[in-house]
Amino acid sequence: MSRTMAVARMQLINKWTYIGWPLTILAASFLMSLAIFALIPVTEGKNGGGSQAPLWYFLVLGIQSMTLVFPFSQGLSISRRAFYLGTLGLFSLIALGMTVLYMVGGVLEKATNGWGVYGYFFNIPWVTDGPWYSTAAFFFVVMMFMFIIGFWFATIFKRWGTTGTLVSTLGTAIALIGIAALTTLFQGWGHVGNWFAQQTPLTISGWAALLCVVLAAGSYTTLRRATP
Amino acid sequence: MNDTIVEARNLIKHYKDLNALDNVNLRLTANRIYGLLGRNGAGKTTLMSILTAQAFATSGEALVFGASAYENDAVLSRICFIRESQKYPDDFQPQHAFRSAALFYKNWDQGFADRLAEDFQLPVKRRIKKLSRGQLSAVGVIIGLASRAELTFFDEPYLGLDAVARQLFYDRLVEDYAAHPRTIILSSHLIDEVANLLEHVVVIDRGRIIMDADAEEIRGSAVTVSGSAEKVDTFLAGRRILHRETLGSLASVTVDEVLSGSERTEAQELGLELSPVSLQQLVVRKTMAGAGTAGTDSGDFADDTMEARR
Repeated sequence: MSRTMAVARMQLINKWTYIGWPLTILAASFLMSLAIFALIPVTEGKNGGGSQAPLWYFLVLGIQSMTLVFPFSQGLSISRRAFYLGTLGLFSLIALGMTVLYMVGGVLEKATNGWGVYGYFFNIPWVTDGPWYSTAAFFFVVMMFMFIIGFWFATIFKRWGTTGTLVSTLGTAIALIGIAALTTLFQGWGHVGNWFAQQTPLTISGWAALLCVVLAAGSYTTLRRATP
Repeated sequence: MNDTIVEARNLIKHYKDLNALDNVNLRLTANRIYGLLGRNGAGKTTLMSILTAQAFATSGEALVFGASAYENDAVLSRICFIRESQKYPDDFQPQHAFRSAALFYKNWDQGFADRLAEDFQLPVKRRIKKLSRGQLSAVGVIIGLASRAELTFFDEPYLGLDAVARQLFYDRLVEDYAAHPRTIILSSHLIDEVANLLEHVVVIDRGRIIMDADAEEIRGSAVTVSGSAEKVDTFLAGRRILHRETLGSLASVTVDEVLSGSERTEAQELGLELSPVSLQQLVVRKTMAGAGTAGTDSGDFADDTMEARR
């Protein structure tokens, strides 16, 4: 257990990687959005997509933790299990912190009428319409999802190289296209549309969380036999 | 008392088109300095990776402290193996790597790490990916030394280090080993440089252990006899010859045998000159002798010299 904790602490030794950069990216994206909101002379609510910026960085962190931090952890004779649990724990911690930040940002944003310029950065139509816990769950799960998908693809890469990555990416794409083709063939798009219309941010979070669990479990099985 | 701390039993590692390890059996005891010697690609790093559970054997058993290291924290916490091509987290500086090591090694000596960084003139606040090859090696060397792990592997630790830095490493290693005995496995192909440090030598070639003996034993185990070709050949008739060189009517022949006192006197009376064989020469000769026919030997050797010239 202490070694698992140490894995998380190790990755926080350089505060920039997991704390400094995400906050910098968020702040930069926020300020730019605000400047743009201020330039648009409309007194109705304006929404921007800038709040997703840190998510892409999380994807990169997910990849790097596997391609760079894992080999380093092996050099320090850290077991694969301790590395996995410590890193996933760290992901959760960061996702939780960011979620809190987004929630607080959302409250402030509403209280100040969109920062005085009717600009909404943290409030996103549909996503933040529900109760607070639905919004929080959505943010948290989406952030975890970005980490885990990066981590998962990098584990595939570590274990099976370029070929494995190519096969799994193409495989996923072909499977998705296949599903789409079948849906068209059986004229099922109406049902699919209905299904999506029925979803709330909370149920979407639930499905995404399920996918996260599957991918995380898959990563672990792959990691168990991965070499640095 | 059984103080075996590393044991390999019939280790085989098979890659698509080569046998990286071909039935390796090995037993290492505690608190000694081992040299793991061999050519590039001989299987040194593969063997160390499998022992430390960084890689997996195709078959066979690798036991460290009596158990497999795989996912075994009790074993892993006593091992340090920074590989020659070690990767570090993207944003890490040497100081971050040292603080990481401090989290995992209970005997970590930060003061020692700081002194070593100063000795090696390592910029501890520069990003690791911006360091030169030698500075990168220094990071690995410092982690290996300051972790004071019971079983420490050094994987060609001198790459890119200048002569002064290499000497510093050897000196610090010996000093610290004297003060804090532990088992050290030094993989190297610069054999002459490390020869004096080693207490036991394991030579690996094409995935096979071709020599596994105490350094003391090896030092006297071979001799080069030189003099007139005719006399040398008569004197050495029937002996295990490792290498033969001729220059005109003179010959210089290395035999893999110990000469007795009377034989030495006899050689002197014949006007033959006896000279000791350095560990490096012996390893080179044995490696080449094990490579097969004389024809391919000279071919290999020519390749080597070509490589060395480049």
